[in-house]
Amino acid sequence: MLEAVHLTKRYASLPAVQDLSFSLRAGMVLGCLGPNGSGKSTTVKMLTGLLEPTRGVVQFDGHNIQDNLQAYRKRLGYVPEEAHLYPYLTGWEYLEMVGTLRGMASHTLETKLDSLLELFSLHPHRHASIGTYSKGMRQRILLIAAIMDNPDIFIFDEPLSGLDVASALIFKNLVQALGQQGKLVFYCSHVLEVVEKVCSDVLILRKGVVIAQDSVANIRQILGQSLENTFLHLVDDVDTMNVARDIVAAMKAA
Amino acid sequence: MIGLLTDPVRHWWEYYRQRPFGRMVELFVARIFRGGGDSDTEGLDLGIGLALTLLALPGGFVSILLLDKYGTLLQWMRGTLNVDPLLMSVPDEYFFIVLSMAVTGAAAVWRWDAIFPDRRDYMNLVPLPISTRTIFLANLVAVLFLAGLTALDVNAASCILFPMVVGATQNKFVFFAKFAAVHAVGVVLASVFSFLAVFSMLGLLMALLPPRALRRISAYVRGIVVVYLVTLLATSFAVPDKLLRTKGPLPPWTLLFPSCWFLSLCQSLRGRASPAQIELSRLAVPGIVVLMVVALGCYAIGYHRHFVRIPEVAEAAVTAPTPRRSRLGALLERLVLRTPFQRGCFPFVWKTLVRSEIHRLVLTGIGGLGLVLASQALLNAFAGAKSLHQAALSPDALSIPFVLTFLIIIGLRIVFEIPVELRSNWVFQLMLDPDRQECQSLARKVVLTLALPLVLTIAFPAYVYLEGLRGALLHTLLVGTWSVLLTNIVLIRFRKVPFTCTLPIFKQHSIVLLLSVCFGYLLYAISTPEFESPAFAEPLRMIALVPVAALAWFIPHRLDKSTVDIEKKLIFEESGTRTIEALRLSD
Repeated sequence: MLEAVHLTKRYASLPAVQDLSFSLRAGMVLGCLGPNGSGKSTTVKMLTGLLEPTRGVVQFDGHNIQDNLQAYRKRLGYVPEEAHLYPYLTGWEYLEMVGTLRGMASHTLETKLDSLLELFSLHPHRHASIGTYSKGMRQRILLIAAIMDNPDIFIFDEPLSGLDVASALIFKNLVQALGQQGKLVFYCSHVLEVVEKVCSDVLILRKGVVIAQDSVANIRQILGQSLENTFLHLVDDVDTMNVARDIVAAMKAA
Repeated sequence: MIGLLTDPVRHWWEYYRQRPFGRMVELFVARIFRGGGDSDTEGLDLGIGLALTLLALPGGFVSILLLDKYGTLLQWMRGTLNVDPLLMSVPDEYFFIVLSMAVTGAAAVWRWDAIFPDRRDYMNLVPLPISTRTIFLANLVAVLFLAGLTALDVNAASCILFPMVVGATQNKFVFFAKFAAVHAVGVVLASVFSFLAVFSMLGLLMALLPPRALRRISAYVRGIVVVYLVTLLATSFAVPDKLLRTKGPLPPWTLLFPSCWFLSLCQSLRGRASPAQIELSRLAVPGIVVLMVVALGCYAIGYHRHFVRIPEVAEAAVTAPTPRRSRLGALLERLVLRTPFQRGCFPFVWKTLVRSEIHRLVLTGIGGLGLVLASQALLNAFAGAKSLHQAALSPDALSIPFVLTFLIIIGLRIVFEIPVELRSNWVFQLMLDPDRQECQSLARKVVLTLALPLVLTIAFPAYVYLEGLRGALLHTLLVGTWSVLLTNIVLIRFRKVPFTCTLPIFKQHSIVLLLSVCFGYLLYAISTPEFESPAFAEPLRMIALVPVAALAWFIPHRLDKSTVDIEKKLIFEESGTRTIEALRLSD
């Protein structure tokens, strides 16, 4: 089980996340929603160990992840929000480097890479440099890098960004399959429909604070509306129709 | 007073930059400074101020160093009185000309990818209601503005300081003013020439080659230009003397070195040129005009071929053939790289060295310098030698592998500090154990796999042929040992994966480091061969080097042992030493 216990992160004196607590059990796909600046990225960075919390701890199986970060990361697959990769490496070279750094045996690594690249339709392009890849191709490289060592925990930060329809559908089914296999999945996204479809539970953040956390079904039942309306109701006190009308008016103004 | 002059310019610029054309010029100037290319490179993003300061530094430094030569007290102490400052300044004038050409040319090569608008500019600007011709003109204005700015900036310090240093013994202001004006004309024109030469070469390649071929060949052409610039810089040791001594017609090779044209131009303007030099000086201004025409023509054709046709060029990934896995590489991996850290990072470091433009350029420059120094040493070795055997055993010939390994080791150490795609280093931050302390070992293996094969494949067979197996073994062993020791020294407290850490900030001890490198060069590449040369006859004398080697091994070893664990941790960000550390008790 992965637990965030009273996590707080301050940049200088500005709080990005305050007293955030939640738990992620085996088989659970936890969606994380929130508007820009709500603390999603900071939370993800603390969960991956890239950022140390100012207060509170992240625990995995009861142990603070900071105590043995390497062992924790060995069991973690992470897809960051933006596909920052080394453009002069080929897709194969990048994945080979990641696999080697993860300590995968070379024959296993090669076999896995071959099959994953084939499944993600990247096999013909594996020896072209990443600089020539489209955004979706880079995203698929990140996905392969995250899953190739069969980790137990997955942290996906906007993983569908740039993916084509087929790849996105495959990925959504993959996330559900991972949950069914007993993996722990933390899924950050702006796309409410996807979170509604693939996640079993949802965590809604606003200004660094959790404002709702429950199963998707429960939230729908309690509020009696779709996740999109629930999100708007909880997070943004904005009349979206009015704002759209105002935008059109502003466009017409001299 | 200054405000009176600058205010109208500022107002004019404020008015002008509100217009689309002015905005685009501003955009292109910023883009050329901050780097272009289709990748989101952020490896070495110097601000405009810092870049201009760095470009201006060499001229200023060299001028100050010349105080020693022109100081009246020192001249008096040397017994050189009644010197002719104009005659005395010819070699230095030549040096400033080649320096300005080299610095400006290097800056243009550095920003090679950013000089022309790229796909990102296309995607951002073409959908706007601006004609492609306007984009063309705006970029051209930005390029010409930067060419002028660079030419002025590179030479600003030398145009003031050098005439002051030379004219220190003269009481007349007219001498200073005349000297400064002629010097300024010479160096600024040389700078402009150098920039235009690089610009036209790029334009010509763009006009002739399709985009993919251009991408492939561009790196090699840049490498050749860098080597030429280094060679040009190295000519300052011999060319001025030869030009001064030649009484009749000048040798034909002077036509190939534009630096000679500009020196002759300066001499002509001072009324000190020989008829042959006057002839040569006539090439300077027409040369610039021709280059300007060629540059503009090629730029226009290249722009049409590349920029306007960007949407026609498929952006999709190309299918590349499967590269062969070399057996040597596999063997090296099995024998030398023992941990996942090393197996993962070693290929990354190698591929960055080979494929990253900036790293390749810096290494090419250092390689070019190595070639120039090695050729010089080879020429010196054969100059006074009566036989091949005597030449091979001369300190000059013996110094060649020392010079090359020194430059490789120091060059790599410098290059390791230049970051590449910093935003992509999250993968290392996520996966590497900061306490493993393997960076030094990794860097050592990279340096030695580049430096040692050179000794083994060139110096060893050459000396087996010239001096037999015993001599070759002795020489190779010495160069090899010295390379290992120097590598250990330069990697003291090295704790980063090369290229993944922010650029080190300028430290107070940087000057000391620079002086140490110069001193190290003297010891490593000059004194050692001087000692080795006579020791070839009596190999037992080599034993005297054992204590030196032991000391050179012990000091870095001891320093590493005495380093506290926290200072051995892997880092991804260079931070300055803080005078005051905030405790943040409220957090």
